[in-house]
Amino acid sequence: MQTTVHSSRFGELEVPEDAVIEFPQGLIGVGGRRFALLTREENSAFKWLQEVDEAELAVPVTDPFAFYSDYEVRISDAEAERIGISDPAAAEVLAIVRAAERLEDFCANLLAPLLISGGVGHQVINEAPEAPIRAPLLVPVAEDAA
Amino acid sequence: MLTITRRPGERIMIGDDVVIEIVEVSGGTVRVGITAPRERLIYREELWERVKQENREAAQASFGSEGPPAAG
Repeated sequence: MQTTVHSSRFGELEVPEDAVIEFPQGLIGVGGRRFALLTREENSAFKWLQEVDEAELAVPVTDPFAFYSDYEVRISDAEAERIGISDPAAAEVLAIVRAAERLEDFCANLLAPLLISGGVGHQVINEAPEAPIRAPLLVPVAEDAA
Repeated sequence: MLTITRRPGERIMIGDDVVIEIVEVSGGTVRVGITAPRERLIYREELWERVKQENREAAQASFGSEGPPAAG
């Protein structure tokens, strides 16, 4: 089964139904409910989390562990119960990327990562001490890296 | 804004399922206990505001958006 995604950035796309991630409570402050994870280039460090029904709503995301190998996500017991993920290490973790003019100015939001498990995602507040909201990505400068 | 005066140990109901309890008042600080259904998200306002703002700004990005991506 395919789902049609309308994107203001990418146009109309068909994505497999099972690639759609439900965010029952959306992204903090911006909403959304069903997202598709889009890869623009095979080797890019970045993907796009595109809302299926809101063409304008998409955020770039990345694997935070690719940049911060010692990154850690800690959530409270209450939060774990809410999202049904007791061990953040067992979930897929994505960090929302703050893009900039220059690649070396890109940052990742390590404070409010996305935890995805079983096709369901939640944005959580990370209680680990070293989790800034704007962590520089320190990516090597390359013309085609984005 | 509705303003209600409460003492430590007293509670406020919001609807039938959200309970706000004044746990302790000390100096300029108030400790508040909140009991709510799990789907009610509870944040310190300044933290929620920062994350909301960061999400909004992330959603303004346009880099690398030319050309169709593949789902994956």
